[in-house]
Amino acid sequence: MVEIDAVVKVYGDAGGYRALDGVSFTVPEGQFAAIMGPSGCGKSTLLNVLGLMDQPTSGSYKLDATAVQGLSDAERTHLRRDKLGFVFQSFNLLPRMTALQNVCLPMGYAGLSRKDRLERAHGLLARVGLKGKELRTPLELSGGERQRVGIARSLANRPRLLLADEPTGNLDSKTSVEIMALFRELHAEGMTLLLVTHDPGIAAQADRILRVKDGRIVADERPAAQPA
Amino acid sequence: MNVGESVRTGFVEIWSHKTRSFLSFSSIAFGVAAILYTFANVNGMYIRRTKAFDIAGPGRLEIEKRESGGFSALVGLSKGLTTGDAEAMRAAMPWLYMLSPTLRASADLRDGDFRDRVQLEGVTLDWAKRGWVFTKRGRFFNSHDLANAARVCIVLEQGGWAGKKPFWARFWRDDNFAGHARRADMLGRTIQLDDGLYTVIGVLKNPPRDKDPRWFFRSGGLLILPLTTVQRYLARRGATDSLDGVDNIIVDTGSVETIPRARRRIEALLSGRHRGVADYEIKDFREMVQNMLENMRKYAVAVLAVGVVAVLAGGVGIMNVTLATIFSRIREIGVRRALGGTRADILVQFLTEAALLGVLGGIAGIGLGLSGIRYLSDDGAETVAALLWWHFPATLAISAGTALLFALYPAYQASRLDPVEALRYE
Repeated sequence: MVEIDAVVKVYGDAGGYRALDGVSFTVPEGQFAAIMGPSGCGKSTLLNVLGLMDQPTSGSYKLDATAVQGLSDAERTHLRRDKLGFVFQSFNLLPRMTALQNVCLPMGYAGLSRKDRLERAHGLLARVGLKGKELRTPLELSGGERQRVGIARSLANRPRLLLADEPTGNLDSKTSVEIMALFRELHAEGMTLLLVTHDPGIAAQADRILRVKDGRIVADERPAAQPA
Repeated sequence: MNVGESVRTGFVEIWSHKTRSFLSFSSIAFGVAAILYTFANVNGMYIRRTKAFDIAGPGRLEIEKRESGGFSALVGLSKGLTTGDAEAMRAAMPWLYMLSPTLRASADLRDGDFRDRVQLEGVTLDWAKRGWVFTKRGRFFNSHDLANAARVCIVLEQGGWAGKKPFWARFWRDDNFAGHARRADMLGRTIQLDDGLYTVIGVLKNPPRDKDPRWFFRSGGLLILPLTTVQRYLARRGATDSLDGVDNIIVDTGSVETIPRARRRIEALLSGRHRGVADYEIKDFREMVQNMLENMRKYAVAVLAVGVVAVLAGGVGIMNVTLATIFSRIREIGVRRALGGTRADILVQFLTEAALLGVLGGIAGIGLGLSGIRYLSDDGAETVAALLWWHFPATLAISAGTALLFALYPAYQASRLDPVEALRYE
């Protein structure tokens, strides 16, 4: 699903800050991988590259067997829209829209009809346990509920890969457990998941842990609890 | 993302920033109101011109007296414009529909206790052909009165209002004599003008002012007398003025086609009679109306300029608001880009919001303009402020277009934002 090879990301000119310094790994379809590392180690940059939000300075990246180098901004955006789902630490819901409208947003960009969008959004919100709360705005939802909306929204265009950036970072431990249970359910249904965290308890629930330090992968572990 | 979706989002944004949105579209609204007002005025001008031509008759010329340099008058080279000129013209061109000489004067009027200084006009029987739209009581004077310089006069009464008296007219006082003529029935009375006594043989009532298109070029005379009477008893003459002098002669040739022919004949005739002294001026009535309209057009252009400036100011306002909106929504732009919104999607979204503001401003401006036109226009008459159906879509297009134009730059900036930076923005 994800194949990156010798990816380098340099900020500024050639002698600038090397946020990624030759990262290579492969994530097969259906795997639940966690990326761990201290802050400033380059995991956000890695996630941005993987999410097609940022382009590597060098190295190759294949997403679902499509090489992304040389694609135009619009082509990368379309790929992102159709194959990727984002879950954010701070949820990033649009505050003036209802949960339903937030979930509909990516489908609008994909050009689905209004009827299809509403139908699918209702289904997704029911799937994440928010039936009956579709017309609330983010302000009227709890943190856990907001992240559920975020997850529903990330699934809107039936992505092949979910990218989650500290999805439980702003949640209390009880809610974190519920959200992680949701991710595990998605994984069990066959979704490929890439989750960035610095919480070992969260990372331990993944099939695989990639440890990043100073822009490099320093360890590739398989937790004993859940063998691959 | 389709445009319908953008419009829906746009409304949500506009509604959640009511004050900001209101401020930005209000200046657009003022501009649109001014532009609409100009449209109304310009169109009204054309309607009035058409009516003025209809009433004046198609073949109208005016020969007006002009002060010549003192020398030629002193040596008696020319007597100035006279009744003799008018008679000669009539003799040379019997086919003229109307040939109406006028002499203006003023006099001290006494009618019982009422005293006033009044403007009066001496005219001939042809005066009746100058678009007679009066209601007559009594009689008009006849050729006998004219031949004998009879001491008779006719009162012109103001028309009043057919409909509701317009707002501004409440602050408009009739002059004294007009008020007296309306209150006191002067028909059949004997009045004093300067030191002579005159009988009021007729009263001519003007049509209601709001139904009278002639208000546009109405002259001031309130008392009509036989020309000969004014010449003999009431005119104030300088040492060089002839006894049968007139101020002007209005000619109606009957049709537009005959104007050049009549004009040539008159020029030749008068040039001979006046021995080449240019103490008169021949004016084509259409030129006069044209000149009047030219002045009004300048006024309309000024209002239009104000309107355009206001709309442009509104555009800058919209630019400002769009920029502010984008700054406060950088993170949202990042989220939208992450969720699959392309640069074009972002561009379309902000342009749609700006265009919506423009259209709302335009609608508000049309409302403002319509109520303004009712009160601002010179007269309550429908001919003053005439709007055509296409003025409305045109003003809406102007406001929406301006908004779009001014939102182009900020929206482009928004679409070029780096999604990673935008998402990180706090």
